[in-house]
Formats: sequence, structure tokens, C-alpha cells
Amino acid sequence: MSAESRVVAGARAQPFRRALREAAVVAVVGAVTALVINALRPDGLVLIAHTPYQTLVPCPEPGGPVEALDAHDPEITSQRSFLVDARPRADFDRRHLAGAINVPYDWLDPVPEDTLAELARSIAASGATRVVVYGDGGRPDSGEHLGKEISGRGIKNVYFIRGGAPAARALEGG
Amino acid sequence: MRADRIAAWFAVPARWYLGVLFVGACLHKIAEPASFALDIATYDILPLVAVNLVAIVLPWIELYAGAMLIAGWRVRASSLIVAAMMLVFLAALWIALARGLDMSCGCFASQGAEEDPISRVTVLRDIVWLGLALFVVAFDRGLVGLDHWLERRIS
Repeated sequence: MSAESRVVAGARAQPFRRALREAAVVAVVGAVTALVINALRPDGLVLIAHTPYQTLVPCPEPGGPVEALDAHDPEITSQRSFLVDARPRADFDRRHLAGAINVPYDWLDPVPEDTLAELARSIAASGATRVVVYGDGGRPDSGEHLGKEISGRGIKNVYFIRGGAPAARALEGG
Repeated sequence: MRADRIAAWFAVPARWYLGVLFVGACLHKIAEPASFALDIATYDILPLVAVNLVAIVLPWIELYAGAMLIAGWRVRASSLIVAAMMLVFLAALWIALARGLDMSCGCFASQGAEEDPISRVTVLRDIVWLGLALFVVAFDRGLVGLDHWLERRIS
């Protein structure tokens, strides 16, 4: 590189360096503003969180959102899915999807709090990123309702299998 | 040189768009810092000690950068900030997708995964925005805005 081209390159780099400096100043001013306002506002956050965020349990209201999955959706048998069977114990014992756990849904009694808490712990420990519930496939469907109940207790990404266990049997080739 | 001039004119709406985008994106995050902190935590990338700090500071830097782009003040600096942020957001999205997380982007508001899910489309969208920010860095000459006005007043 000639001396002249070095001078030209240097002249071009000047405004860029200045822009970098200005960007750093803006970032610092933004950060200071943020910290001051956070300190002043009543709902400000503590600067350092001490308890881990419950990323699976963000909303407290009962009856949360659930989405329907088609019984042939490959995501159902994916390792990222945590399967929950909402049917009575006897039906579950007769036949169920591999890896599913049984949480019988009672139309008259809500699922006990400790059962849901245990379920939430199992889901978190499994590393699954979605919960797939299936029930009797009736109208109304116990799977959909259990899904809503689970979702309503704050667990994210809850789905139910459209058509319930009868439709899901196709997954086992039965 | 004529091409540079044309690009400089195209850079004006590009920075207005990015400015409005960033100001719009930060409002919910500033109003609901706890929700935004939860969104950040869901990505599971930052250590717990950094989550709240980032949730507090990041939206304000977005606000400053976005407002400066709209006003046309220190455009190169603010577009550099936007480009840097887009790189960080892209990296976070990429990591989340690689881990197979079914989650909300958290880009504009705290929503469920089903309303604003991360996907390759989200990555593509952010790449386009990154490209726009770099375009502004490279070609904006402050044709409309405070930089232009201040320069004219001084000269």
C-alpha cells in the first residue's frame, strides 16, 4: 500500500472510529438512564436475580391455551415431547403411547395441586420442550381439558392430540 | 458517485423504518421489564446474574438508537448500535433454534410460543434487518434529519 493510499484509508477510517466512539457513548447513556429509571420506578427489577426464572410456569390463571396436534404429527413421538395420558388408569394400563405417563382426568374434580406440581417437576426434569396430552377423544375430550388445566397452571407449550387415544393408536400401528 | 447519492437517498427510509421498528420493539420491554427478563431467561443463554441487568438496559439502548435514527442524529453511530444488536439477537435465535426450543421470540412483546414462535423465518427477518442496518451504516449521508440541519447551520 502506497503512502497516499494509506492516507486515504486513514481519512475514511476517521468517521468510522468517531461513529464507534459515539455508539459507545449512546450505549453508556442508555444504560445509565435505564438504571436510574429502574431505581426510581416502583416495579423496578433487582439488578441481579437470585432465584432462577420458572420459564415453564409464567402465568397463574387456570384454563390456559392449548393447541391441537394431528394424530399423525411426527412431533408427538419426538423426544422433545412429554406425553400425558388423560384416560382412566384401566384404559392406560391396557394400552398407551410409549413414554406416556398417566394423569387421569376427572370431569368433576380438578387435578390435585400436588399432582400438577409433580407433573411440572417431571416435565422440567425430562428436558422436553412441549407437553402433549391425549385423552378419550370424545366430545368434550378429556385430553384437551387436562391440557387446558396443565397450561392454566403456567406450563408453556401444551398441546393435545385431536381425536385422543383412538386416533393416536395409529402411531403405534395399532 | 451518482450511485452513492441514490443509495444515500434509499438509506433515509431504511433508517426511518429501523428507527420505528426499534422504538416500537422497546416500548413493551420498558413497560414490562419482568416479562422481558422472563423472555431472556427462557433463551437460557445468559447466566442468571446477567438476566435482569440486560432486561433493564437493553430496551433503553434500543429506544435511544431508534429515536436517533428517526431524528437523523448521529446516524452512523445509531445504525452501528442497531447492527450490533441484530447480530446479538441473531446469535440468540440461532442457539435457541439449534437447541430445538419451542418458544416465543420475545422481540416485540411477551407472547406464547404459539403466537410469536421462533423459526427460520424469524432468523431470515433478522438477517434482513441486519442488512438494512449495515446499508444505513455504509450509505447514509444524513440527507434528512438533525445531522443535516446542524451541518447547514454551522456552515
